[in-house]
Amino acid sequence: MTNAKFQYAFSDLGITVSHIESILGYDENGESEIIQFLIDEALKEAEQYCNIRAEYRIYNEVILSNPDKSLTINNIQFNIQKIVFNQLKKTESVAVFVCTAGGEIVKKSREVMMEGDPIKGYILDVIGSVVVDVAADLMQDALAKSVIQSGQKITNRYSPGYCGWNVGEQHKLFYLIPENFCGIRLTESALMDPVKSASGIIGIGEHVKYSKYTCSYCDMKDCTYRNLKDEKEERRKGNKY
Amino acid sequence: MNEILEKIALCVEFGKINKVSPYPPNMKDQDGADELTRQALDGGVRPDEILENALVPAMAKVGDKFSRKEIYVPQMLMAAKAMNSAMAHLKPFFQSGETKRKGKFIVGTVAGDLHDIGKNLVAMMIEGGGWEVIDLGVDVGTDKFMSALDANPGAVIGLSALLTTTMENMKQTVTAIKEKHKHSKILVGGAPVTMEYCQKIGADFYSPDPQGAVNYLKALVS
Repeated sequence: MTNAKFQYAFSDLGITVSHIESILGYDENGESEIIQFLIDEALKEAEQYCNIRAEYRIYNEVILSNPDKSLTINNIQFNIQKIVFNQLKKTESVAVFVCTAGGEIVKKSREVMMEGDPIKGYILDVIGSVVVDVAADLMQDALAKSVIQSGQKITNRYSPGYCGWNVGEQHKLFYLIPENFCGIRLTESALMDPVKSASGIIGIGEHVKYSKYTCSYCDMKDCTYRNLKDEKEERRKGNKY
Repeated sequence: MNEILEKIALCVEFGKINKVSPYPPNMKDQDGADELTRQALDGGVRPDEILENALVPAMAKVGDKFSRKEIYVPQMLMAAKAMNSAMAHLKPFFQSGETKRKGKFIVGTVAGDLHDIGKNLVAMMIEGGGWEVIDLGVDVGTDKFMSALDANPGAVIGLSALLTTTMENMKQTVTAIKEKHKHSKILVGGAPVTMEYCQKIGADFYSPDPQGAVNYLKALVS
């Protein structure tokens, strides 16, 4: 079993105004100066509220079962469902990961909203989500580099709650990570605390593949990220705006 | 429409809160919803006219633009903030009973769930639709919804959830409410919620966006 821990500085993530602008739904070309200004201010402030950590643990004892579309890691069976199963079917080992932006960013976001500035509060909340996502990307890159030496590749990361995988299985996932892993606690309803956290699995193997665009596999048609990607694609084609 | 009402509506639609607010740039240094509402009241415009002929139509336009993805959450929040600055001048008239709202809307994120941005957006839009909003916050159990409904009979209830696990708690709350208050109307929303799920648990309405909820409530009282 291999473990790896990461602590990132906010500047390591390279998050830009246009990145946040794009997540908020705006065109990267900058259609609203005031929004750009607000994002810029919030980004400068967000740094002090983030404690960005990530960690993964690799399990080699992995069994995939096609009839019930399940994945068993260290004797714990996950009903990962068809979409995730298909992406992981050539997996030889699995990295279980968690990643967090820490609790302060959400606390500050709520505080600012309560003080009567919902826009800044919302932008801070979105920055918190982006921080987790980008930090997880960095962690994933580090994992890819570490396994490439042995001729292996990695899949995309998959989390309970997405692609048909029941979010309740997050409880089982947390059996596989040490208590207080990155300081993350799981509530009864499978909600991570701090909220700006991510957890899941990444497949590792000689014949697995990483897909650039995975939204089309997922059945969450109303997902914000999927819709944003679709809209951007429409804009790119010139069909809209 | 009265000229000042048109101006208030424009300020709300484009998020011009007050004179010092820099947004939108083309309205810089002009009076915002705050000052104009005060001026309208001082000039003898009735508060219910301001609500019905300026704030409600302006927020409806905002909701429609959001539904059509012409604007995004930050602009919606700016509009809501401008609306609140106008609403602050109207609140004494609501409290005295001189101006009536369309009804009461009790809203909360269900037990186990701490997500509130979607719920807050719906609350803001419904308030902008002329309703009194009673926001119970996040992680709201069935008992708290029931107590709020007991204290505000006839209120419409809105339940929000962002997780598939917490969405299941909607069912328990809907069942309890319908058992005691058979005719209460219940709206449900949130990322994992669908119309199919809404019907399955016996709720009355689902909308993927806030304006859908506003339109449903409007139809209830018209």
